[in-house]
Amino acid sequence: MGFKYGRLGAKPTAGALIGRTILVLILLTFTVMTIYPILWLIQSSLKTTQEFQMNRIGLPIEPTLSNYPLAWKIGGFTSLFLNSILYTSISTIAIVFLSLSASFAFAKIRMRATKFLYQSFVVGILLTLQSIMVPLFLLTNMVGLYDTRIGILIPYIGLGLPMGVYLGTEFIRSIPDSLIESARLEGAGYIRIFISIIFPISVPVAVTLAIMTVTSIWNEFMLINILASKNSIKSLPVGILKFSGALSSDYGKQFAALVIGMLPMLIFYLIFRKHIQRGLAAGAVKG
Amino acid sequence: MKSHTRPDERLRAYFLLVLPAVTIYFAVIAFPTIFSITLSLTDYSGGIVFGDRADWSFVGFKHYFRMFRDQYFWIAFKNNIWIMLMSLFIQIPLGFTLAYTIFRKLIVGREFFQTIIYMPTIISCIVVAVLWQTFFSPYGPITDFMRLFNPLWENNLANDPNLAILPVLFVMVWYYTGMYLIIFLANLQKIDSQILEAAQIDGANERQMLFNIILPALSGVVVVTAILAISGSLKSFDLIFAMTSGNPARRTSVLALYMYDNAFKGSPDYPLANAISTFMVAVSFALILVTKKLENRFGGKE
Repeated sequence: MGFKYGRLGAKPTAGALIGRTILVLILLTFTVMTIYPILWLIQSSLKTTQEFQMNRIGLPIEPTLSNYPLAWKIGGFTSLFLNSILYTSISTIAIVFLSLSASFAFAKIRMRATKFLYQSFVVGILLTLQSIMVPLFLLTNMVGLYDTRIGILIPYIGLGLPMGVYLGTEFIRSIPDSLIESARLEGAGYIRIFISIIFPISVPVAVTLAIMTVTSIWNEFMLINILASKNSIKSLPVGILKFSGALSSDYGKQFAALVIGMLPMLIFYLIFRKHIQRGLAAGAVKG
Repeated sequence: MKSHTRPDERLRAYFLLVLPAVTIYFAVIAFPTIFSITLSLTDYSGGIVFGDRADWSFVGFKHYFRMFRDQYFWIAFKNNIWIMLMSLFIQIPLGFTLAYTIFRKLIVGREFFQTIIYMPTIISCIVVAVLWQTFFSPYGPITDFMRLFNPLWENNLANDPNLAILPVLFVMVWYYTGMYLIIFLANLQKIDSQILEAAQIDGANERQMLFNIILPALSGVVVVTAILAISGSLKSFDLIFAMTSGNPARRTSVLALYMYDNAFKGSPDYPLANAISTFMVAVSFALILVTKKLENRFGGKE
């Protein structure tokens, strides 16, 4: 490209300069507002509760990590982490695989059922968890899956499918038919074509979908809050809520717990930032 | 289809590929949706649902009338509308402004700003809620900050029923604006740079470029963000649940929380809860339709 259209004409008018300064100031203010609470949280987690009460906005005078092991123990973070990892990994693998296999059938195998089935998935993108929360709770109880990991995993997988099927179908439609036709001529069945041709080509959309799913399942709260009452099957977001009720005045441990809860996603974000943002832009096409 | 396709194998493969996803989808989303609408029209109170010993009967729209007569419904609904207006008229314009500043290269370090502003969105709602709850509490740093400007400032944010929604709205701007920034930025970058160059060579000024080229090119995206804002604001739950639980005096409640309270707190009132969720879905669909109609009316191009 070379040409920098962003640098406006050589001599901007005074009005344009003021306008640009205001825009930059808004951006700077908002950025400081965004990062400050996160930095404040981290610095506060390094203070004892006593120190925090004396010094709520300054830097810690005697930084200490002593809050962390205590918060970890009180919060039962070992089990929360294991559960979060389990829910996130199994749901993600299942959503990616099931979405892509259905997407391939919808996009490349002509059947009359496709129109209805595909449309029902697309409508599902607009439906909200709220509209099915009570029935899901009742149904989970009826089939005896309340307070079990499987009873949490199945709804998680179901909730991820509409977006997965939508993105997958859009993507696989763009793969040329000739690729499939020639494999068919060589006698390959559709299942084999899916595994050895379509899936490898679909890796980019699978990655986007997987990253979207990881962030949403890892942070999911509403559903697991009603489907799990045993501590042993709770995930991180439900576990952290403990530090808002009974333990909320023990600030040191509360802040340490929040940092523990925030850190994995923050690291994940810094690694996969590009993918996360691309996934958001792709998902927003359909709203 | 071509002669080499064997119908049997095609059909079998199709169902094998589609069946797992379709089964789970219908069990988890489609069926519960219908179930929810049905429940809202019955007097079901937790007994057996299916079979001969089923313990419920249809009562028509009774629970919807109950809902409309309940003052807590109106408090919650009003808060959803506040959240919606805030999303539409603060988050979206702010998100666009930030995206525009970055896109027009008015500042260096654009990657950095993009990364920071989107960061809150990926943190768990619960962490965000507990963090801000402490921040705004009478013992939190907000008191110290405000006293820098006004030494007599009293922190009533958590107890004053008229003020309590303000911290919630503030946190929502903090939490979600980055999402709109990314959506706008991704679409701004799709605009053909040659058109902008040409306009500039022809002597178009910044304002003309914004109103005659950039905004028209984004009209479809504005509709998408409006739909996201509308459906998102009707959904809001986690953040408020963990930040205020709807208090003081239910003044920060929203429809989803009002539904949750009726279904899972005290003695369950499933029909009322489902009437609320059905109402939420209906309002959401209606507003999305209106948005689409407005788009067609005012000639937004996609």
